[in-house]
Amino acid sequence: MPVTTPGQSQTSTRDAEFSAVALPLLPTLTRFARALAGSDSEGDDIVQETYLRAYRYWHTFDKSTDCRRWLVSICRNALYDMRRRDRLVDATDDAELESLAATRVHRAAVAAGLGDMYARLDLGPAIAKALAALDSAFREVVVLSDVEGYAYEEIAVMLDIPIGTVRSRLYRARRQLQEALMVYALDAGYGVTGARK
Amino acid sequence: MTMSVLNRDDCESIVRRLWPFLDGKLTDADREIVVDHLASCTECRSHFDFAKAFLEAVHGLQPSGRADDGLRTRVIAALAKEGYSDG
Repeated sequence: MPVTTPGQSQTSTRDAEFSAVALPLLPTLTRFARALAGSDSEGDDIVQETYLRAYRYWHTFDKSTDCRRWLVSICRNALYDMRRRDRLVDATDDAELESLAATRVHRAAVAAGLGDMYARLDLGPAIAKALAALDSAFREVVVLSDVEGYAYEEIAVMLDIPIGTVRSRLYRARRQLQEALMVYALDAGYGVTGARK
Repeated sequence: MTMSVLNRDDCESIVRRLWPFLDGKLTDADREIVVDHLASCTECRSHFDFAKAFLEAVHGLQPSGRADDGLRTRVIAALAKEGYSDG
């Protein structure tokens, strides 16, 4: 009968926990990392780095908390470490003004004959491209909120930023995406001829 | 964030709440005011519908995010070098 040492038993428990809790989140984390990185290959590198860090520091993870949040935080740090990025710039715009700006985008879309573009066009590839073009500070918020469905409060915890910053970055990101999608639709020839100035 | 006064008869004050409304972040009282306004204001309703369609399009996006078997294998191989065993 094989003898199990206390150290081996501890490792085995850690591995079992890691297999049960962290690894099943691989698809979620992959989606986030690829969107955040703007490319599949870099995203996959970040996923690997994230899991390595998570495994090394598994003992620090509070098992009563949401492992997705923990992994997303590690993932984000891994990306910025890999890119040697400093802390992110904040959006300072008034969030209400961004709501107003959204109506201007709509008016422009209507004027360009694109008021029904979301119903009429398959914008999936254009959305992915526009997301990839966003500044990472905005991209990570819009991915977490609008693609992954996290609440403002959860995003604030994951990214360690105030809720007001989540909100302002999110609204600005949405406006930038909407504008980019309109440009895409016009360039693809879906709008009214001569509408784009 | 500085909040403007929400007035059910003032289109601007309503559209200033566009994103918080669509994100479910308004108080019940403010939400009711917006809903009442949208019921009678076609233009504002069209702004909200457009923004809602945008959010649905983004939410429907499935980034190439499926962790394929290759990535899973790669991650587990990297973990194994750290001593991990998946049993």
